[in-house]
Amino acid sequence: MRRLPDASLRGRAITVDLEGESIPAIEGEPVACSLVAAGEPLLARSVKYHRPRGPYCFAAACSHCLMRVDGLPNVYTCRTPAREGMKLERQNAYPSAKVDVFETIDWFFPKGLDHHEMFAGVPVAEQVMAKVARQLAGLGILPKEAAPASPESRTLRTRVAVVGAGASGLAAARELTERGVPFLLFEREDHVGGRLAHGAPGQDAPSITDVATLAPDSLVTRATALGLYDDEAGRFLVVGAWEPAGVRLLKVYAERFLLTPGGHPPMVPFENNDLPGVYAGRAASLLLRRHDVAPEVAALVGWGEELYGLARLLEERGVKLAAVVDLKGPPPAGAHPLAVAGTEPKAHGMRHVRAFSFTPREGDRRKVACDAVLVSVPVSPSFELARQGGARVTFDAGHGLFKVEADADGRTEAGDVFAAGDVTGGGSAKDAAVAGRRVAQALVGGLS
Amino acid sequence: MSKSMICSCEDVTADDVRHAVSRGYCDVESVKRYTGFGTGICQGKSCLSAVAALLEQEKALKPAAVVPFTPRPPLFPTELRLLATAPVDESQPPVGGLPQDVDIFASALRPEGPLPAKAKVVIIGGGVMGLALAYNLAREGETDVVVLERGYLCAGASGRNGGGVRMQWGTPALLELAKRSIDLMKTFARDMGINVWLRQGGYLFLARTDAVAKRLERNVTLHNRHGVPTRLVTPDAARDIVPGLTMDGCVAASFNPEDGVIFPWPFLWGYAQACKKKSVRVETYTDVTGFEVSGGQIRKVKTDRGDIACDTVVLASGAWSPEVAKLVDVQLPNEPHRHEILSTEPLKPFLGPLVSVLDSGLYFSQSMRGEIVGGMGDPKEPAGLNMGSTLRFVSRFARALMEQMPHVGHVKVLRQWAGCYDVTPDNNPILGRTPGLDNLLQMSGFVGHGFMMAPAVAERMAKWMVTGESDELFTRFNLRRFSEGALEREDMIIG
Repeated sequence: MRRLPDASLRGRAITVDLEGESIPAIEGEPVACSLVAAGEPLLARSVKYHRPRGPYCFAAACSHCLMRVDGLPNVYTCRTPAREGMKLERQNAYPSAKVDVFETIDWFFPKGLDHHEMFAGVPVAEQVMAKVARQLAGLGILPKEAAPASPESRTLRTRVAVVGAGASGLAAARELTERGVPFLLFEREDHVGGRLAHGAPGQDAPSITDVATLAPDSLVTRATALGLYDDEAGRFLVVGAWEPAGVRLLKVYAERFLLTPGGHPPMVPFENNDLPGVYAGRAASLLLRRHDVAPEVAALVGWGEELYGLARLLEERGVKLAAVVDLKGPPPAGAHPLAVAGTEPKAHGMRHVRAFSFTPREGDRRKVACDAVLVSVPVSPSFELARQGGARVTFDAGHGLFKVEADADGRTEAGDVFAAGDVTGGGSAKDAAVAGRRVAQALVGGLS
Repeated sequence: MSKSMICSCEDVTADDVRHAVSRGYCDVESVKRYTGFGTGICQGKSCLSAVAALLEQEKALKPAAVVPFTPRPPLFPTELRLLATAPVDESQPPVGGLPQDVDIFASALRPEGPLPAKAKVVIIGGGVMGLALAYNLAREGETDVVVLERGYLCAGASGRNGGGVRMQWGTPALLELAKRSIDLMKTFARDMGINVWLRQGGYLFLARTDAVAKRLERNVTLHNRHGVPTRLVTPDAARDIVPGLTMDGCVAASFNPEDGVIFPWPFLWGYAQACKKKSVRVETYTDVTGFEVSGGQIRKVKTDRGDIACDTVVLASGAWSPEVAKLVDVQLPNEPHRHEILSTEPLKPFLGPLVSVLDSGLYFSQSMRGEIVGGMGDPKEPAGLNMGSTLRFVSRFARALMEQMPHVGHVKVLRQWAGCYDVTPDNNPILGRTPGLDNLLQMSGFVGHGFMMAPAVAERMAKWMVTGESDELFTRFNLRRFSEGALEREDMIIG
């Protein structure tokens, strides 16, 4: 990855401190983005085999980018804005992440290490293993200082609480605004739009709703939903909202909960899918569209419309493509000329991706040089909140995903929980926007 | 080295999932526990769908049986200090909890094969009690045994507890059982071929009041008499044992270095695998629906997979025991009480013992994996089978923990869950024959400490059942005591 020569100036140039080294960064961008753009993609060693890890999802949905940041362990650097002088340390490595002696664990156990049965009941070995395992386990070190208190929590009440300001959440918010129904829309990013803002552009994608057209004070950004609980006063959403003084806990009681959180970029199991240089497709589009950071030569693998959208996006910005491999079957008409159906993808490299190989459906196994493998598959619906609220979640065997069961009006099995967009099983951004609007209409009809 | 990661938080490979399936762990909840996938920082966000798809492709599960594991709050790693700010009305009982339907299992998970038409012994409940008993019966030569479990192994309290094991009890009977259990835990890996990660870092009990301090003082005398090296420690000495501990509001402490923590799940797998090797049947996702009784004896156990004729029935259903007993018109005095618990991000070792403030019911330890695992009783918790999670609990726990360990304020909670204590009027178990229904044996009422008692209780119960030799345990803790009124109350209950 590198910052593109035509990168626009998006903020103040600063430096951050990576284990004593000064690394250039742009103030406010995710610090993991600064690190990969500066040629430092190795951020950590994995918990068991000490495999090298670099950022993967840029969506706080994996653990590859966790670092010790200003003395705090296990911080998602994909969510942490770069600040002048911030201190970054790689975790779980001895003596360093670049040369980690415990990497030998990975080599000694090529077929994996069965912690249930290894040395079970072998005298001495068992006790030694227990001692060693305790020292090796754990990720990060307890902070040295006592934590200052968080800002006081706040209890809010509204008619409709909407989670996620992507295509469907924004469309719903627009509808609620037009109908004069009080609502609060929570978005965990610092910007709205979801994949409209940072995904691969889809066909017929709607434009991003201008937030100025929404009811005043209805949008809360950098606000992460933590759970859908209940107590004596009814059902409430718990949100951790970022404020300059720290994260504040919000308890939000509502008559209806409209869940439009989208999905998580999943890992796809293939050999070395965790090697630094392997990124989720949504991460690649985010880095490119929002931060002008991209690989030199990329191999694309996955399936679905976004795979091809990503190929177009990368080429438009001058990224060379080494391969586009569709794991589900023949590419659709009009797909990128390199696109082929293939199986058995594999990333190659010691500490970073150097090449990618696969078996085309027709022909011999092929290996191509590249500096990034981008995995673009449909997102895994983020069903957790809906499930906590009592909605039914079913497995879609065709797509290999769990999704929230909702009717055309977004009604779920729980009377006050509605869902729209990717969380109900995916589709285009346009579909999501249409669903968001329709669900908002249906939901308003049921309000007293 | 080339590996295909399916859960990169915990370094679980696709082959690890296949290995779990080959061991008979096919449903998502069991595969999660056996492989550890989904238990890391991301809590399944990046891996769950891939594991589910693999299980479906490998035909380990029918599509309708592919159900996600229960998504636990918080949905994002959340600092204890933030959770501590949530308002709590201590004067009111806790209400609700999410998700409410965690213990309802999809019918598609029910095995299709038939149950045996008859068995000598049917054990109801595939928790640690039932499985340990089945294993010990087989060791005593009785292998015509069927264990019935309503969900997956680890679905009940045996899979939901904090893994604490201690000899610091207030009565000799429980002390001796715990002592024997810990001895058996030391050899468990050798006997069963599976690691349980016993770590004897001790239990440090803290007392806030003189009354509780007196209890600890009394214990030291009792424990030392039984060869348990418990000692009273001053607040300063307690701070030496646990660096960073404030001892705020605490007047005294007791410490037994031989207490410890274990990893609960492998006990169930170890016992179950050993049972199967001895051709004892362990039937998961099988629900007991009723009994056939005649002549003061249970003749058949009815299930949703057919009936089993039997000579003896053992009720080892923990907090569900009163409900099962009702099916055969037996009233048990046990009451289920929800106890909530949480687990944090894994950190390098910093905490040796399990620490418990006896007055408030706060307890916390560091697991082998490095997580802080802890809970706290709620004095206002009403009786009832509720395994929902509340914000109230995490808030109360976070405050109480930060009072004793201010350094953990930044530590992030990964998940919270709940299980049910099986509470009896005297905090002691119910064991032995049921008055009026001779072939129904009770094995319940362990008030949150059944896990650590199970190896020893099961050993004695199997011997008592097979040899017929008398054992005072089954008289002392007989159900009859509640009508006869001679109760000796155990007062070393956490929470």
